[in-house]
Amino acid sequence: MNSVLILELTVGIIVSFTLLGIFIWAAKGGQFDDSKKMMDGLLFDSEEDLQAAYEKEQKVKAMKEKKEQNKKEEV
Amino acid sequence: MSNIKCTHCQLEFDESVMITEENNPDVYFCCNGCQGVYHLLKDDGLDSFYEKIGNSKIAPPLQVESDSSSFDMESFKQRYIKTTTDGFSSVDLVIEGIHCAACIWLNEKVLANTEGIVDASINFTNNKAKIVWDEDTIALSKVIDTIRSIGYNAYPYDRTAEDIKATKNKKDYFMRMAIAVFASMNIMMIDVAKYAGFFSGMKDETLHLVHIAEFIFSTPVLFYSGWIFFKGAYYGLKNRIVNMDLLVSSGATLTYIYSLYVLFGGKGHSYFDSVAMIITFVLVGKYLEVIGKKNAVDTMDKIRSQVPHEATIVEEGVKKVVPLDAVKVGDIIEVKRGEKATVDGVLIGSSATFDESSLSGESLPVEKKEGATIYSGTINSGKVIRYTATKNYANSTLSNIVNLLEDALASKPEIEDTTNELSKYFSITILFLALATFGAWYWIGGDFEEALIVAISVIVIACPCALALATPIASLIGISWAAEKGLLFKEAKFIETFSKVDTVVLDKTGTITEGKLDVKNVTGEISSEILPQLYALSDSSTHPVSLAIKKYLEKNFESIETIELSNIEQVEGKGLKANYDSKIIAGGNSRLIDELEIDFEFDTVYTVYHFAMDGRVVLSFELDDGLKEGVKELIDYLSTIDVNIIMATGDNEKVANRVANSIGLKDYKSELSPIDKANYIKSLKENGKRVVMVGDGINDALALSYADVAIAMGSGADVALAISDVVILNNSLKAIEDSFMISRRTFKFIKQNLAISLIYNVITIPIAMAGYVIPLVAALSMSLSSLLVVGNSMRIKIKDKN
Repeated sequence: MNSVLILELTVGIIVSFTLLGIFIWAAKGGQFDDSKKMMDGLLFDSEEDLQAAYEKEQKVKAMKEKKEQNKKEEV
Repeated sequence: MSNIKCTHCQLEFDESVMITEENNPDVYFCCNGCQGVYHLLKDDGLDSFYEKIGNSKIAPPLQVESDSSSFDMESFKQRYIKTTTDGFSSVDLVIEGIHCAACIWLNEKVLANTEGIVDASINFTNNKAKIVWDEDTIALSKVIDTIRSIGYNAYPYDRTAEDIKATKNKKDYFMRMAIAVFASMNIMMIDVAKYAGFFSGMKDETLHLVHIAEFIFSTPVLFYSGWIFFKGAYYGLKNRIVNMDLLVSSGATLTYIYSLYVLFGGKGHSYFDSVAMIITFVLVGKYLEVIGKKNAVDTMDKIRSQVPHEATIVEEGVKKVVPLDAVKVGDIIEVKRGEKATVDGVLIGSSATFDESSLSGESLPVEKKEGATIYSGTINSGKVIRYTATKNYANSTLSNIVNLLEDALASKPEIEDTTNELSKYFSITILFLALATFGAWYWIGGDFEEALIVAISVIVIACPCALALATPIASLIGISWAAEKGLLFKEAKFIETFSKVDTVVLDKTGTITEGKLDVKNVTGEISSEILPQLYALSDSSTHPVSLAIKKYLEKNFESIETIELSNIEQVEGKGLKANYDSKIIAGGNSRLIDELEIDFEFDTVYTVYHFAMDGRVVLSFELDDGLKEGVKELIDYLSTIDVNIIMATGDNEKVANRVANSIGLKDYKSELSPIDKANYIKSLKENGKRVVMVGDGINDALALSYADVAIAMGSGADVALAISDVVILNNSLKAIEDSFMISRRTFKFIKQNLAISLIYNVITIPIAMAGYVIPLVAALSMSLSSLLVVGNSMRIKIKDKN
């Protein structure tokens, strides 16, 4: 009986601490800094928004590369 | 005709005034601004904005007239623009005009789609934005123009060390609280099994396992989340103050040590759950305090961002843009239409029109003649003007107001928090009693373990849970009840302050009166010959007086004949002149009649509009700002609960007297500048009064910041709303009556709750000291006292249901 309980508790504690870890990671990344925006998060979560976020990432990457290249050329 | 929603801003207007489109019959716009933004979004494929906006209403797009090229000036760059590690530029802005999450989405989306912008993130809570862009691709002025093109505006702000610290502090407390809440919730679940086991029977080994799980969860709560209490207790002791932190940290630590002792083989029960609960409850309260401080910093940044950052001075005919601090007394300053005057000075040249609503609250533009004083912060609503600076920026009106606001926000007196005051003495007493109990038991019985258990029982039973809950729970219920009635208490502490208020100071325009003109009286007959000419003339201007006349005519006359006037000429600050059928017609105030050299006398206390034809005044309209609905009822109610009511206004004595008489108010103060109003509030407070100030304009912001409780009406200026402690969302005066009723009733329950927890402690502590209570019962009875307090608080709203 107790061995089952030990297993259950161990799994439970590991799972909950893993979730806590994910939460801390998200909080440190600034996901919860803006309480009002966080509550309306659902509005910004469509497929279209995800696509836009991806495109933005690509655009920023390209801009950074361009900037880096310009710097090298200047040197 | 029926009301219809504007397709862009969602505000409702009469169908007859809406702009429609022939090829697009389903759309209606209230103004050209809304129409423009609608098409811009549609063309850019951003029309999903209208799905995201839901039922939220936004304001029509802001029409910004000032030039954005100042954002590219060298002085601006030096002050506000920083360079990121990647070599991009970054600026902190406050965005004006944000109403809902969809507004944030739209701004971020439009900026993200703009070539050259690396990142644009806007915080919805405080409307602050951080923009990162590539200088080589786009200039900041273009970024600002993009924001303005969709109907918003942006001001730069200098991110202060204060702001960085407040943001960091808030994040730190959020993490600590989140971990404490997470662990406590897990412990509560385990507790269900544990306490059920006490009644249905539980093997010792199983109980031991449960204790291990509780130990794992409570440890981070005590040492990570509770770290701030240890720090607070340490600094308290260093300064010889016994504070609430000491009681919380010593109570939790002793309970933790005892529970560890039980866990590793000692007899008794462990109380890891109590450890987590104590820390979590008190931490939530502390987090709310931290949020309050962060809000104060955000408010100040909003106010600072409204200050212009540079001025155009003219030196020997050459224009030069200089930073504000570089403007000297005697400099000649040029102000374009739509720009703010930067320092105080006197006007050069014939005339100017200034919007002084930020100082006087009056919505009508003020006409200035040569030599008139120009106040910093007021907006030039006429042609380009020049004036001579008589003060430098630091001594100017605007800077004075900003500094006073800063002081008022920083030193806003914290109300004497009954609970904190009480728990200070409570903490010392309990620690002393626990120590005495331990000493007495050890001395009499000689058993260390028993003495320790009894002493810990004393601390646990007296744990200030009920005391700590007494105020927050009742306040929370009071605040949510107020929110249901359209009242937003920004912080819980204002419930207490509000309940003790004995004086209410009401602003006139926008609070007692509607702030909109209505025709009260007409002298002369509006004949069918005059009517079309009068209507056509009043239709030629957007001045509030002309609009009121037009509204009056439309309401009282059906099918007015449309005629064309010629040579319509605006006489600045006076009225309009025009020609019709070789006749000269004119409509305006008494100064226009004087200018036309018509001999006419008219004595009135109201705003007046004369209509003249062929050198003769044929009609005179007296206009008045109508009283708001419910003013008399509010004054009756406040009199019955013995609250003094005073009206404070920037208007002249005549107008103030008339308005006060019409609502049966004896006490009023007239001709008060914003600084006078603030000083008046200060003097009331110095005479021992507890003051609520109700206002709506930027001109009230300073007085609001000095009041014990500041109330802003919902449609008021951004700054007034930011500074207020209570916001009335539905703009109704009944809400002020409700806030008195709710705060007084809530505070009554807070006092009852405190009494319950004190009586509980007075009864249980002696029993615990006598050794009749084992720590488990102590913990259970502590929970019972908390339940009593929560249950009692639930009764607050019962009155409403009855």
